[in-house]
Amino acid sequence: MSAANEQASRFDPGFAREFYALENGEYAKLCMQCGLCAVTCASREFMDLPPRKLFKLVQAGDKEAVLQSQTPWLCTSCMTCTVRCPRGIPIIDVMHGLKYFLIQQGSKAPVALMSKIFAENMLRRGRVFELALTNSFFLKAYGPVGAIPIALKMRSVGQPMLLKGRLPLKPPKKIKGLDQVHKIVKKATEVMKREGHQDGV
Amino acid sequence: MDKKIGFFICTGCGIGEALDVAALCKVATKEGKAPSCKQHPFLCGQEGLEFIKKDIAEGVNTVVIAGCSSRMNYDVFDFGPEVIVERINFREQVVWCHPANDEDTQMTAEDYIRMAMAKLKTLELPEPFVPEDVSKDVLVVGGGLTGLTAALEVAEAGYRAVLVEKESNLGGYTAAFYKQAPSRPPYTDLEPNEVPAKVQAVTDNPNIKVYTSAVVEKIEGGPGKFDVTIKTAGGSAGERVGAVILATGAKPFDPTPLENFGYGKYPDVITQAQMEELAAKGKITRPSDGKPVQRVAFIQCVGSRDKEHLPYCSAACCVESLKQAAYLKELNPEAQAYVFYKDLRATGKYEHFYKRLQDLGTVFVKGETSAIKIEQSGGQLVVQGEDVILREKVNLPVDLVVLANGMVPTTAGEENILNLAYRQGPELPILKYGFPDSHFICFPYETRRTGVYAAGSVRAPMHVPAAVEDATGAALKAIQVVESVSRGAAVHPRSGDLSFPEFFMQRCTQCKRCTEECPFGAINEDEKGNPLPEPTRCRRCGTCMGACPERIISFKNYSVPMIGNMAKAIEVPEEDEEKPRILVFACENDAIPALDMAGLQRMQYSNWVRIIPVRCLGSLNLVWIADAMSKGIDGVLLLGCKHGDDYQCHFVKGSELAGIRLSKVSETLDRLGLESERVQIQEVSIMDYDQIPGIIDRFAARLDELGPNPMKGF
Repeated sequence: MSAANEQASRFDPGFAREFYALENGEYAKLCMQCGLCAVTCASREFMDLPPRKLFKLVQAGDKEAVLQSQTPWLCTSCMTCTVRCPRGIPIIDVMHGLKYFLIQQGSKAPVALMSKIFAENMLRRGRVFELALTNSFFLKAYGPVGAIPIALKMRSVGQPMLLKGRLPLKPPKKIKGLDQVHKIVKKATEVMKREGHQDGV
Repeated sequence: MDKKIGFFICTGCGIGEALDVAALCKVATKEGKAPSCKQHPFLCGQEGLEFIKKDIAEGVNTVVIAGCSSRMNYDVFDFGPEVIVERINFREQVVWCHPANDEDTQMTAEDYIRMAMAKLKTLELPEPFVPEDVSKDVLVVGGGLTGLTAALEVAEAGYRAVLVEKESNLGGYTAAFYKQAPSRPPYTDLEPNEVPAKVQAVTDNPNIKVYTSAVVEKIEGGPGKFDVTIKTAGGSAGERVGAVILATGAKPFDPTPLENFGYGKYPDVITQAQMEELAAKGKITRPSDGKPVQRVAFIQCVGSRDKEHLPYCSAACCVESLKQAAYLKELNPEAQAYVFYKDLRATGKYEHFYKRLQDLGTVFVKGETSAIKIEQSGGQLVVQGEDVILREKVNLPVDLVVLANGMVPTTAGEENILNLAYRQGPELPILKYGFPDSHFICFPYETRRTGVYAAGSVRAPMHVPAAVEDATGAALKAIQVVESVSRGAAVHPRSGDLSFPEFFMQRCTQCKRCTEECPFGAINEDEKGNPLPEPTRCRRCGTCMGACPERIISFKNYSVPMIGNMAKAIEVPEEDEEKPRILVFACENDAIPALDMAGLQRMQYSNWVRIIPVRCLGSLNLVWIADAMSKGIDGVLLLGCKHGDDYQCHFVKGSELAGIRLSKVSETLDRLGLESERVQIQEVSIMDYDQIPGIIDRFAARLDELGPNPMKGF
């Protein structure tokens, strides 16, 4: 009987309800597992779960699997799945809501960290400084000791990029009107706080 | 009828440019003995029609039009019932599929003129058979949703309906429904059951006579004059009707033999019908202890799509389960429904309803439902199955299990329903799974008994709106048949055909082939084995004509000598001219349209062929092949419909019969000293037009290898 009850929690609508309360989370209910999102997704081969499977796990109430999933972080918001979904689920919006939820839940996934560092890096100059981005990501994610073997492994990618000038040593110029971008971000943060959200960035 | 022929050649659509029309006129007047031959560049236009009508006014009663296919402009070239119209297909079957200004193309056109003129020699205007005392009433057997709807539709169209119901109350299976699945936009909300209102409407309608607690004891006669004996509780009653609608529906499949579901063993495992009863009380409680239910599992495909039980999809159960899950939530918002399904078949507009159920938070578990096991321990029901999407085992404790048991047509049972007094048996012929057979694609309501229409879930598994639509369709079909019979005309597929088979009984040898082979049971037999034709049941396919070894069956406008004369009219060149001839007998329903389509697409094929349309390959009499062969024609190709389980033949088994007869023709050919390969049968559907040139050219190439017919010149 206990096994059965454990199973029952598998289909416990508790987590599903929590998810459906997220911004655009409710759409996850409507997934009918046709798999069109998975076959159209450009990042599918890097994802651990195709979007449909992620939605199925939400419906099944499997919180743990959803929190561990890399899928929302690998979504490039290209919109292909959204325009093709026969049920009209705005999949990228669900993914955005899910990413925010994962940050709130203190997700430790490396891709989550990458997103955070990317945003910080980008906001400094209005452009991405790749060298600083990769350095700070690997150092923060794996520590100075752990980063060395990864850096060595990535040498075949990094060296040619350096030689071809695709990975400049100097930071790029600031964009024009960077202060305006900062104002937008500040305003957005204020709005989010006023509506009771945590600072996403 | 003394025929006065007017021969017209239309030179439009490229005919005039591709053929030597003056030479063709000579063939028509000299060889064909047509009194005159006129040409016009646009016969189907206003001016062209006046051109023809002028001749008719002057006494012409037989019009031969050489132009486009008889499938085109048939309404334009209709000069009333007193004028015979014979069409020669110069467009699709001559100039559009053979090279222009070519000697062989010209010969083809000439042959078609000879064939048409030969045909006219024996062709007569049909005299319709109109039975006396035609009844236009419609008998509806079964008083469920389909029967009620059919009776109402018949009555509302101004005809009288007779409704026979076995039970003491009208309404049938759906009468007990607590709610009905959505039938109108936005297709998301449950609707009140419409059946009680329909029962009331039928009871109140003065045009509907209702017999309850009654069964049909006997149906004699044919369309327009069915004599029905109805056995009622008190005695028996007689009715004369014109058509019959079979709407006895289906019975729910009994899930007891499927032991894994525990039906009958655990009181809280119930069927869909029992769920409706529970819901009708206003609160869903467990049958075992009367406690309210929180968690309910719906198991789909119980018995359905299972080779051992019902190999087909029962079509309605998915939507019914969705409906029950919806009202479960409506009656108790805290309740949770779990649907275990194989494929959720909420087709068409029901997609919106399915989406709504997902929105309500219903959990759907996909897996092989026939492998589900339901067990009970400590008063707790547990559903054991597999979720194939999550790839894991499921052990779900629930309070109630509802089995979506499929439907079994009432015609699959042992007991007789219609008790038809037909030589071919008392019930409708059944092809698959106990459902009365029909030509599923072209004529879904038609059964193999003319004037008897199956509708609703007895015809095919279906849900509520489909059954309503079906009932309406069948009602219209029934009206069509009574109206056609009262004019002596055939119904589908030869709608409006006034001819019917005539038997020259003095020469009948009582071989019973016609009575056995008639696909529609139109020929009964007396004690001595003489055929007793029932003309109103006939669909004019001519299968009897093809079957008769004595060739005593013929139509006024279609007979064995007529087609034989056409074959004999073909001019067969001498062997040294190296112009072989192929005779094609093509079924009018699919092969002729396919040939026309090939012409429309300007596909080119061998101009050795001469095509004779036949009503159905079933009307093929072997004497035609013998005639053609002894005339020196090098090969005969039969183009007919697909046969077998998923047959396409519009007359059910005509092409199959032709195949059987053909297997016996090889003997005849051997006797003539000919290769049996010279006669071939091919299945062609209307979509196969692109294969027509291939079929014909391959056959021509094979004949070339075999060499000329040695009978040439004899």
